[in-house]
Amino acid sequence: MMQLLIHAIVAFASSVGFGIITNIPRRTLLPAGVTGAASWVVYVVITGLTPNVILPNLLAAVTIGLVANTFAVVVKAPVNVLYIPSLVSLVPGAIIYMSMKAFTLGQEAAAQQGLIKTLTIAISLAVGFVVAEALFRPLRRHLHRRPAR
Amino acid sequence: MPSEKTIIELCGRVGKLLLENGAETGRVEGTVEYIGVAAGVPISCHATMTALFVDADTDTATHLVKVRTKDFDLRKVDAVNTLSRQFTAGAIDFATLDQAVGAIETTRRDYTWPQKILGAGLVSVAPMLLFQAAWSDLAWAFGVGIAGYLAANQVGRHTETPYIAVAAGGAVIGLLATGLQRAGVGVSADNIIISALMPLVPGVAITNSLRELIAKHTISGLVRAVDAVMVAGAIGGGVVVGAALAHLLTGGRA
Repeated sequence: MMQLLIHAIVAFASSVGFGIITNIPRRTLLPAGVTGAASWVVYVVITGLTPNVILPNLLAAVTIGLVANTFAVVVKAPVNVLYIPSLVSLVPGAIIYMSMKAFTLGQEAAAQQGLIKTLTIAISLAVGFVVAEALFRPLRRHLHRRPAR
Repeated sequence: MPSEKTIIELCGRVGKLLLENGAETGRVEGTVEYIGVAAGVPISCHATMTALFVDADTDTATHLVKVRTKDFDLRKVDAVNTLSRQFTAGAIDFATLDQAVGAIETTRRDYTWPQKILGAGLVSVAPMLLFQAAWSDLAWAFGVGIAGYLAANQVGRHTETPYIAVAAGGAVIGLLATGLQRAGVGVSADNIIISALMPLVPGVAITNSLRELIAKHTISGLVRAVDAVMVAGAIGGGVVVGAALAHLLTGGRA
């Protein structure tokens, strides 16, 4: 429980930090942080339950998709502004770096393995977004109808 | 009533702004076409990562805008989005839109440097390594990440050559992390490097590229993917050079 809390806090900080670097508007910093933290907690919990690589990433991306889309309607911002910072902890950046490093050092097998893992994770994340957007479409109509301008 | 030519020209500028600063291709095309319709000229827009075509359906002439993507500036994307919403809802007229787009193009609203440095530091503590790397290494990564981010930024300001900036950032991170390990204060240089690289690494670009591919924006997806691999390669090369330099300086074998 304690560990999850620490995970959530660090993930929140990461997302807010990346939001600052990519210069997202101030009113979207908090939603981005919350989205990042929520998705990372989902990732950590699912990773503890299964040795599978695809499932945690996919579900974390579904979480991002749902939470970010809701926030996007609330703060009236393009979803991408929330997607990018909240993705930062999940995204296979470290793995593609290690793979390219293996490549520069002439370790072809490790480089190939890294590239394929990068692709696997990226595909699971992207599919997660597609699923989330499909789920969200009927919800959005509902959200849009309610708040008066 | 603005002429068709001015509408197309403005649409081109809007599309360029969005594309340069990190919006997805689908959204760029959608926004431009909405603005066209709202301004009274049905417009077709085709966007790839490197160019943007805007065409009025009633005319044979096509407006071509060349685009070179830079660093993400999502605040501009958000500002353009807000404007286009207001315009399509009829809250502002064409002249106001034109002026506001000009203002977004020329001014850059940004967080202050201390805020950005803090942000880079926060990103550099990767949740991926929690309970796996030593806590002291994560603390070091905070500082090393800031150094790498600043190096990449400074170099990026002085050179037009692509990929040099991230390579320099990688080199600084490799140098510092290896140096810390050699000095005996860092436990694992690899962990510090991976964590500190988080602000530079092109993970978001890869995922965006896959999203473009799934949305059938195949060209944009491929452009983004190749770019991401190039960036990762530049960082990897930078780190290797930096680490080798650290080994040389501390008098060990590389």
